[in-house]
Amino acid sequence: MSATAGSQARATLTVPGLAAGPFPLREVPPSPCTLACPAGINVKSYVSLVAEGRFAEALEVVRERCPLPGICGRVCHHPCEDACERRPAGGPIAIRALKRFVADLELELPPPEAPDVAPRPERVAIVGSGPAGLAAAWDLARAGFPVTVLEAAAQPGGMLRYGIADYRLPVEVLDYEIDVVRRAGVEIRTGYRVGVDGGLGELLAEGYAAALLAVGAQRGRGLGVPGEEDCPEVEDALAFLRRVNEGDRTPLAGRVVVIGGGSTAIEAARSALRLAAKEVEIVYRRRREEMPADEEEIETAIAEGVAFRFLAAPARIVSEGGRLAGVECLRMELGEPDASGRRRPVPIPGSELFVAADHVFAAVGQEADFGFLPAELAPRLAAGGRLATDPQSTMTPLRGVFAAGDVVTGPATVIEAIAAGHRAAEAIRAFLDGEEPGAARPAAPPPRELEIPSPPPAWAQRRHAATAPIAAGREFDEVERAFSAAEAIAEARRCLRCGPCSECRICAASCGRRHLTIHAGGAGAGSRGWLLRAPERFVASLEAAGAGGACLHRELADELFGDAEAGDQAVALLPTRVAIDEDFCRGCAKCIEVCAFDALSLVDPEAEETTVRLAPARCRGCNLCTAVCPTHALVPTVVAPEWWGVRIEDLYPPLAAAAPGEPRFVVLACQRRAGAVGASLAAAGVAAELVPVRCCGQVDAGMLLEVYRHGAGAVLVAGCPGDACRYGAGADLAARQVERARVLLRNLGGDAGRITADWSPDPEGSLANSGWPHLAVLARGLGARQEGVSDA
Amino acid sequence: MPELASLRKRTQAALCLACGKCSTMCPLSPSGWFSAARLAAIREPETEIAGQTRSLDACLTCGACEQRCPEGVRFVEFVRGVRALAPPVGRRACPHGEMLQAAARLMAGPTAPTRDLGWIGDELEIAETGEVALFVGCLPFFDLLFTDELGIATVDIARAAIRLLNGLGIRPVVLAEERCCGHDLLWNGEPEAFQALAAANAAAFEARGVKKVLTTCAECCSTWRRDYREAAPGYRPEVEHLAEFLAARLAAGELAARDGAAPSTTFQDPCRLGRHLGVTEAPRSVLAALAGGAAPLEMERSGRDADCCGTSGFIHCDANSRRLQSERLAAAAATGAETLVTACPKCLIHFQCAQCEDRRRQRAGNGIAVEDLTVLAARMLVPASTARPTGDA
Ligand SMILES: Cc1cc2nc3c(=O)[nH]c(=O)nc-3n(C[C@H](O)[C@H](O)[C@H](O)COP(=O)(O)OP(=O)(O)OC[C@H]3O[C@@H](n4cnc5c(N)ncnc54)[C@H](O)[C@@H]3O)c2cc1C
Ligand code: SF4
Ligand code: SF4
Ligand code: SF4
Ligand code: SF4
Repeated sequence: MSATAGSQARATLTVPGLAAGPFPLREVPPSPCTLACPAGINVKSYVSLVAEGRFAEALEVVRERCPLPGICGRVCHHPCEDACERRPAGGPIAIRALKRFVADLELELPPPEAPDVAPRPERVAIVGSGPAGLAAAWDLARAGFPVTVLEAAAQPGGMLRYGIADYRLPVEVLDYEIDVVRRAGVEIRTGYRVGVDGGLGELLAEGYAAALLAVGAQRGRGLGVPGEEDCPEVEDALAFLRRVNEGDRTPLAGRVVVIGGGSTAIEAARSALRLAAKEVEIVYRRRREEMPADEEEIETAIAEGVAFRFLAAPARIVSEGGRLAGVECLRMELGEPDASGRRRPVPIPGSELFVAADHVFAAVGQEADFGFLPAELAPRLAAGGRLATDPQSTMTPLRGVFAAGDVVTGPATVIEAIAAGHRAAEAIRAFLDGEEPGAARPAAPPPRELEIPSPPPAWAQRRHAATAPIAAGREFDEVERAFSAAEAIAEARRCLRCGPCSECRICAASCGRRHLTIHAGGAGAGSRGWLLRAPERFVASLEAAGAGGACLHRELADELFGDAEAGDQAVALLPTRVAIDEDFCRGCAKCIEVCAFDALSLVDPEAEETTVRLAPARCRGCNLCTAVCPTHALVPTVVAPEWWGVRIEDLYPPLAAAAPGEPRFVVLACQRRAGAVGASLAAAGVAAELVPVRCCGQVDAGMLLEVYRHGAGAVLVAGCPGDACRYGAGADLAARQVERARVLLRNLGGDAGRITADWSPDPEGSLANSGWPHLAVLARGLGARQEGVSDA
Repeated sequence: MPELASLRKRTQAALCLACGKCSTMCPLSPSGWFSAARLAAIREPETEIAGQTRSLDACLTCGACEQRCPEGVRFVEFVRGVRALAPPVGRRACPHGEMLQAAARLMAGPTAPTRDLGWIGDELEIAETGEVALFVGCLPFFDLLFTDELGIATVDIARAAIRLLNGLGIRPVVLAEERCCGHDLLWNGEPEAFQALAAANAAAFEARGVKKVLTTCAECCSTWRRDYREAAPGYRPEVEHLAEFLAARLAAGELAARDGAAPSTTFQDPCRLGRHLGVTEAPRSVLAALAGGAAPLEMERSGRDADCCGTSGFIHCDANSRRLQSERLAAAAATGAETLVTACPKCLIHFQCAQCEDRRRQRAGNGIAVEDLTVLAARMLVPASTARPTGDA
């Protein structure tokens, strides 16, 4: 699909100024979103790929760390969005919805085939087919182990199937993604309850070399108040949801009260609404802020008509004439924080109130059901309603038996279960390979610095996926709609691509000799960042050449190895941050004003002499500050200071030298649009010198005039319009510079019309296509040469 | 490098004793890394030049060092010469994105400029041809960079000059095809481009019958008066800074101070006017005339000993520049004067830039008023005869 168009576009990309000199090879530290994802999905990478219209590749990136993209794309509680740097600037990227978008595209296609792997002899049994079990099974199968999943229920999926309701997660999506896991070589045996249909011990005896317990937390806790036991209208919410999810759509009469504040409570309430309950009310003992359920879910529930009563807890079930009448509650107030850090609700004496109810669903907690454990083992394995495991190895005290998911953590989330599945799979592999149970925990995220205080108001706002109201007769149809392709791209383009590179992988794809390869942090491996790597002999030669570890540009590589292939292209890795040369800094604070990320501050604003300092973690390397710094104290991110030789201004001599006397059409394009601009011009056969810049706000009048003077027949600045600039002020700054250059040119006897700018909105659909035909028209108007026509 | 050897001889750098007296005068010495003596020692290999590029760029070419050199080393000329031999000065050395240099280089090309003279307005009068010309220089171009930022319009200086001249009955020639004087390119090490600018300007002014070139900028003035002698020897107009011109007219009784309080002033001698051209008295006599005869207050170092405003030729602005500016502003305030007067638009820009920085930093800073001499004069002086301009002088 569009990936092809993308690579064509890139082929037209020439960077004449970047013709020589090594580039730093660096480990890419993960972005905040990626760090926040428990499963380590490389969020920035797939968001970047969506922004470029490279949807299939985006999905591949998700699958590297998550076998259930369509499911997570619907129900994940998205800690990535909480960490997203755009949160204060128009809202976090709608990462979950983007994941769903790419996953949905695949539903129309034949499922991906299993990779070829060398088979391993050791069989692994996995008990439970919830997300933890499925993730572990997927990893192990892809590592070559024969995996059997034993599932007590009639169908696989665990809480995904029997907890979460269809209007949030349609069965088709669930079936499809479980099928993908099956195709990876996983056998799922349903209707097999370990402990009933076969014991744990027997499994190991049967020849399984290892077993993973991923049985979840299946049992709902009771309310624990008088009157509960002998009232059939008081039911466990999980049991209710299981019935509904099994297809029982018997209407509920009257008023439904759900007790609890987690996703189970919300799910039960919304399901009750769909079963014609007259009124549904959630009673929760803390406040809305403390509800563990996802904020978006709460909002949707409210929108659908669920009522909430906060700071109230049941004290007694009231029945009249053998039928439930309601719940007597006590008002609560918040006291001291408890172990979870939330303030403990304390009943207010004498504050009884009566909440009428025809049905009560209890969603006040879940715990594992250890009935499947042999009686003599249970005390060794289970403590406090959870399975005891070694946190490093995920192994239970029983050798060869591992555990993961809700059964270990207590009720948690899908993505955490998946993450636990990954860790367990890696631990099982290590165990079967006879390795020490490894320190396989991802590195702790670096301490975060301050929040972005005041983002420019013009920044594009987060897009929300549309939702559908409950429709009669189709109550359990999916509520949330998917993004359209255009919406997905527009939303993904808001991403700041925190960190040194967008991880779009263009470099590895276009470095023909594979000098540059990208290594993703492997399954369960400690590193979640990507390592950009060159082969050893390559690095060794570089060191000999005094270049340190670096990827080479083509010329240098040819010199060293002489093995260039036609069409080879080495791509510069852009360091992420500006550098500060303090000797030059006047402390004028201009840079501080332009930085949208609050990355710069003065060491001592009050002092006569002071310099600016950089908070590296916040710098996005947009280079806008370098454009306003009057002294070049800020070194642009195009290259690190030690690579001074390669800067935009180094373009001028090559421009003049390349074709003496022949006017060149030079396009200084925002890095993000460079591909599409190139494709648009190439599609129309326009010869252009394309110079990608980090942000067009980095272009200044001097630069434009110099490019013009060095023989450019015309110079075009192609950047993102207004609030589409992901760095805030790029378009404004560039527009001012273009205007300055034009005024000067007009005064200097030049043709001001030959320095121009284009701020077209993004084309419909993919940025990786040739969506700007008007650019070719513009270029021809400026006298750009037509390829193959006027060459003679 | 034979060019370097002959440069060393010509400028007497070859005689340098490394006594270090220059460094005791140099305003950059406190930086800790700049050493005039070390620069003077640049002897031959290109590597040695490359190794000193930073210092080469940083030198203010203010000439303070020459005041003390026992061997008569013409240091600034030496630095200028080495810059021309050094690898091209990169963007890094140039503040403001090299815009002004880029414009100057474009003007060094064959196409004549087509300056927009709309800033002159209707009430001021200029002439197509005549004996007296006003060389406007970069003033309108500076405004592209600094008006938004500093809230100053240096083109007001040119307007003030025309108003004064009109008051004296002179309609100056102002050329749309005027090019940059070439000062910055000359001093930044681009002699060929400078040569082209000098030749083109000389030809253009000569063609209009100009015999006297007036400037409001110390750099334009020294360039026309000294450097065009070599670069365009065929054309020898009289060159005057407006301060000199006004001083002479005041002395001749053609101008008089307007009634009303003139601010008490102190004067910043621009390097090009003071040390390079030796003009220190004329501006002071103008300021004294404005103040009813009271001489301007003097800063601790003034006249030929004055400190530089921090940058010259629009290269290499840095932390040192800022320090020099702060110190100079402090010295000016210490005199008790209300206004620091300059006779070079670049001094004006640099001091106001430092003050603007303080405002941006929300720091008290030094708020002494800074004003250009020509603008102040146009405000305070009236022609002794109130006759309207009648024709060319
Ligand atoms: C109503 C509801 C809504 C939720 N909504 C969300 C949400 O929006 N977002 C989110 O991230 N999380 C949500 N969760 C939580 C999430 O579903 C769970 O954290 C997750 O499913 C746990 O995965 P697991 O693999 O550990 O266990 P489970 O999904 O519980 O799977 C365990 C499996 O083991 C099987 N099993 C148990 N015992 C045996 C046995 N003896 N033999 C064989 N098989 C056995 C069970 O039948 C089950 O299939 C929700 C949970 C519920 C109940
Ligand atoms: S802006 Fe993009 S890269 Fe940065 S945290 Fe958000 S999604 Fe991740
Ligand atoms: S490069 Fe951009 S993000 Fe980094 S300090 Fe400069 S303005 Fe801020
Ligand atoms: S803009 Fe440049 S000189 Fe001014 S404070 Fe920032 S780094 Fe320093
Ligand atoms: S010219 Fe001025 S700045 Fe340069 S060395 Fe001499 S005194 Fe120092």
